Amino acid sequence: MSHEPHHPSRLRRAALPVPLSPCASRQAPASRKVKAKMPKFYNDDPAWEDIEPLPQDDGGLHPLAAIAYTDEYSEAMGYLRAVMAKNEFSERVLGLTEHIISMNPAHYTVWLYRAKTLSELHASLEDEITWLNRTALKHLKNYQIWHHRQTVIDALGSPKGEPDFIATMLEQDSKNYHVWSYRQWLVKRFGLFGDDEELQWTEEMICADVRNNSAWNHRWFLVVGGKDGQSVGEHMVKREIDYAKHAIRRAPQNQSPWNYLKGIVRQAKLPLSTLKDFALEFADIRRPDDIYSSHALDLLADIFGEEEDSKEEAKKALDLLATRFDPIRAHYWRYRKGLLEQTGSAGVVA
Amino acid sequence: MAIPRPQSSQSPSSRLEGILADTDRIEELSDSDGDYEDMGTATEEEQANIAYLESVRIPIQDQLQTDSSKVQNETLQAVLPFLEGNPNDFPLNIFGIPQLQRMKHIAFLKQTLGDYPSAFAMMDASRPWLVYWSLQGMSVLGHDISEYRERVAHTFSLAQHPTGGHGGGYGQLPHLAATYAAVLSIVMVGGAEAYESINRKTMWHYLGQMKQADGGFTMADGGEEDIRGAFCALVIMSLLHIPLELPPDAPARKSGLTSFTDGLGEWISKCQSFDGGMSAAPGNEAHGAYAFCGLGCLSIIGPPKETLNKYLDMMTLIHWLSARQCSPEGGYNGRTNKLVDGCYSHWVGGCWSILEAAIDGQDIWNRSALSRYILSAAQAKKGGLIDKPGKRADAYHTCYNLAGLSAAQHKYVYEADVQTELGGGELDAPYYWKAEGLFEDERVWGSDDVVGEVHPIFVVPFKAVHECRSYFDSKEGF
Repeated sequence: MSHEPHHPSRLRRAALPVPLSPCASRQAPASRKVKAKMPKFYNDDPAWEDIEPLPQDDGGLHPLAAIAYTDEYSEAMGYLRAVMAKNEFSERVLGLTEHIISMNPAHYTVWLYRAKTLSELHASLEDEITWLNRTALKHLKNYQIWHHRQTVIDALGSPKGEPDFIATMLEQDSKNYHVWSYRQWLVKRFGLFGDDEELQWTEEMICADVRNNSAWNHRWFLVVGGKDGQSVGEHMVKREIDYAKHAIRRAPQNQSPWNYLKGIVRQAKLPLSTLKDFALEFADIRRPDDIYSSHALDLLADIFGEEEDSKEEAKKALDLLATRFDPIRAHYWRYRKGLLEQTGSAGVVA
Repeated sequence: MAIPRPQSSQSPSSRLEGILADTDRIEELSDSDGDYEDMGTATEEEQANIAYLESVRIPIQDQLQTDSSKVQNETLQAVLPFLEGNPNDFPLNIFGIPQLQRMKHIAFLKQTLGDYPSAFAMMDASRPWLVYWSLQGMSVLGHDISEYRERVAHTFSLAQHPTGGHGGGYGQLPHLAATYAAVLSIVMVGGAEAYESINRKTMWHYLGQMKQADGGFTMADGGEEDIRGAFCALVIMSLLHIPLELPPDAPARKSGLTSFTDGLGEWISKCQSFDGGMSAAPGNEAHGAYAFCGLGCLSIIGPPKETLNKYLDMMTLIHWLSARQCSPEGGYNGRTNKLVDGCYSHWVGGCWSILEAAIDGQDIWNRSALSRYILSAAQAKKGGLIDKPGKRADAYHTCYNLAGLSAAQHKYVYEADVQTELGGGELDAPYYWKAEGLFEDERVWGSDDVVGEVHPIFVVPFKAVHECRSYFDSKEGF
C-alpha cells in the first residue's frame, strides 16, 4: 500500500456529518471526563519533523462502525503507524504512546508497542510503574493496563509495593476481575503462597464483605493453588474447615463459604458426611419451617445421597429445594433427584 | 444509577418493598395468599407477575448486611418494577409479558453499525466487535444482513494484518478477539468475496504464534494468555478449516508440541475452579463468560459428551452454572454473589445446550425465568437491550440478550449423524448440532417474540456456519 503524503489536518475523514447519529442512548461513556487540556499535535513539532505520518486507510467504501476521530487522535495514530512501520523504539515513542493511551486506554496495539519499546530501550521500569499508578485508577476495567503492569513487574523482578497498590485499587471495586487475576499472577510469580501477610490481607477482605467471592477464590488460591496438586496438610484442612464454618454462621445463605467448605472437604478426600452435623444446624429436613440456608439443604441432599439408607431423605431435601427454598432451580433439583433414582449414590455432587 | 420507578406510586412493588424491608432477620417470607389482597392499581397481568415472582423467590434472607448484599438489594429494587409491571409501556403478549420490540432493536442495531462520534475513540480497537454484535443481533431478529456483505469484506480486509490475523482496524496489531469478531462477521455475510478476503495461510502462522507451550493461547503477541484465546483460536480454525498441525515457525514446537490441540484440553481443565465454574486462566475466579469459552472450546475439539466428561468435573460444573440464575430476577449473574446482567443470558444461558448434550440431560435450567428477565427487564424503551434497568443499551448487550433468548426458546441438540457431509474433517464436532424446534413448556413468549436459531458454539446462524465450512472444505490447500 502506498500513501500520498498528507498534511495532518487532512487526516480526519472528510465526510462524517456531526452530530453523527440520532440515537439518543448513544452518549459518550459516562466515565469519560472532558479535560480542559490543550490538544497536542506533532506536525509542527521539530522533534517529529523526520516522520511522515501514515494516515488511516479506510479505502474507497465507507467502513462499518466508523469513528469520527478528533484531529488530535487521528494525527497521533498517524505518527504511531509511521514509527511502527519503521520499528522505531525511542523516548519519543514512549511520549507518543502515553499521549494515545490518555485518549484511548483500551488500545492494545499501543500498549503492546509501548511494552516492546520499554524493553528495547532498557527504560526505567520504576518510572513506568509510577506513571501506571497514576493511570490505573482512571481505567480500572481495562485488560491492557493490568497486562502491561504484569509485563513490567515481571521484568522488574520484584513485587515491592504491589500488594498495597492492589489494595488501593480494590477499594474502588472490591471484585474487579483484572485486579484479582493480577494479584494471583503476582503470588505465583513471586512465590507468595505461604506468605502470612497475603493470607491475612485476604482474611481482611473476606471479613469486610463475607460475600466477596473473589476474596474466597484468592484464599483458595493461596491455600490449595500453591500446592501444585499435592495434598493440603491435616492441620490446614481443619483450619480451613473451621474458617469456612465460622463465615457461614455469620450469614448462612451466603454461597461462597459453602462452596469453599465443600471444596476443601473434596480436596482433602474426606467423606462429605464430615459436614453432616454442621449442615443439620441450618436445615433439618424434619422441620422445614426452621430452615436457614438453602445451601445447607443442597449439601444435605448430597450427604444423604451418599449414605446407604438415606435416599428418601436426600429426595426430601431436593423436593424442599424445588418447591420451597430454591424454586427457580426446580428443574435442576429434579435432575439431581432423577440421578439418585437412577444410579443410587453415583449422582452425588462430591 | 438512575433507578426507574413504576409510574404509579401505589404500585404493587411498594408493597413488596415493604415486605422486603421488614425482613432484617433470618426468616421465611410468608407466601400465603393474604399478602396481595390489597392490590391497589395492579392490573391482572401485574398480579400474575407478582404471584410468579413470589413463587420463585428464595424465602431466606440473612440479617448481616455487607457491600454485596446492599448492592444486590438495590439492584433488585431497580429490576422488580419491570418484572412486576410494564414501566416502558410495551405492548404485552398473551402471557402478560412485554413483547419483543423487534423493529426498535433492528433500528438500534443499524445505528450501532453506523458512525460514532469522536468520544468513541475508546472503541477504536473494538470495531470488529461492534460489527459482529450488530450483525448477529440483526440476524437473530430476522433482518436480512446481505446488504452489508460488501462493506464487511471491505472493513475487515483493511483490518487484516500482513503477518496474519486481524486487528481492531487499519494498522493495528493482530489480536485474537478482533480476529474472532472479524471472522464471525465475514461468516455471517458469507459469499466467496468475503471468505476470500481472509488470508488463511497467514492466519495459520499467526495462530501458531499464539499457541503456548502449556497448551493455551495468548490473545496477542506479548499479550495475555486466557481461555478467550483458546476459544477464539479454535472457532477460527474450525470455521476456516485451518490445518491442525502447528506451522513450522510456531514457538510452541520448541517445547515438543506439534498440533494446535496439544495440551489444550488439559489446559482448559485447569481453568475449572474449586466451586465447579470456569475461570479466565488457572487459579482465577469462576466467571460465566469464561465458562462459555471453555465449554465452547472443548466442544470444538470433540463431541461435548466426550470432551466435557473427559476434562471437567461435570456435577460441580452443573451445580455452579445452575447457581448463576438469579432469584427472583430470572436472569443470570456471572459470578457467585454478583449482580444479574443481561449479557450472561448468553454466556451462561448458552452453556446449557452444550451441557445437556454432554450428559444426555434435558431441561435442567429455567428457560422461562430467563425469558421473563430478557423481555421484561432487558429491553430498552427506545430499542436495544441492556444489562439491567437503568443502564444504557449497547450492541454487546443486545447481541447476547438475544442469543440467550434464542437458547431459551429453541432446542439445540447434538446428533452424531446430523451433518455428515461436513463430518470427518479436523475440528468437525461443531457441525453435528441442529435446532430441533421450539421449547413449549412454561412458555412466556408469544409467537411474535420468537427469535431465530443460533448455532450454540459459534453464535451465528446455522446456515452461515455450514456454508462457510463447506466452502473451505472444498478448497485444496490455502
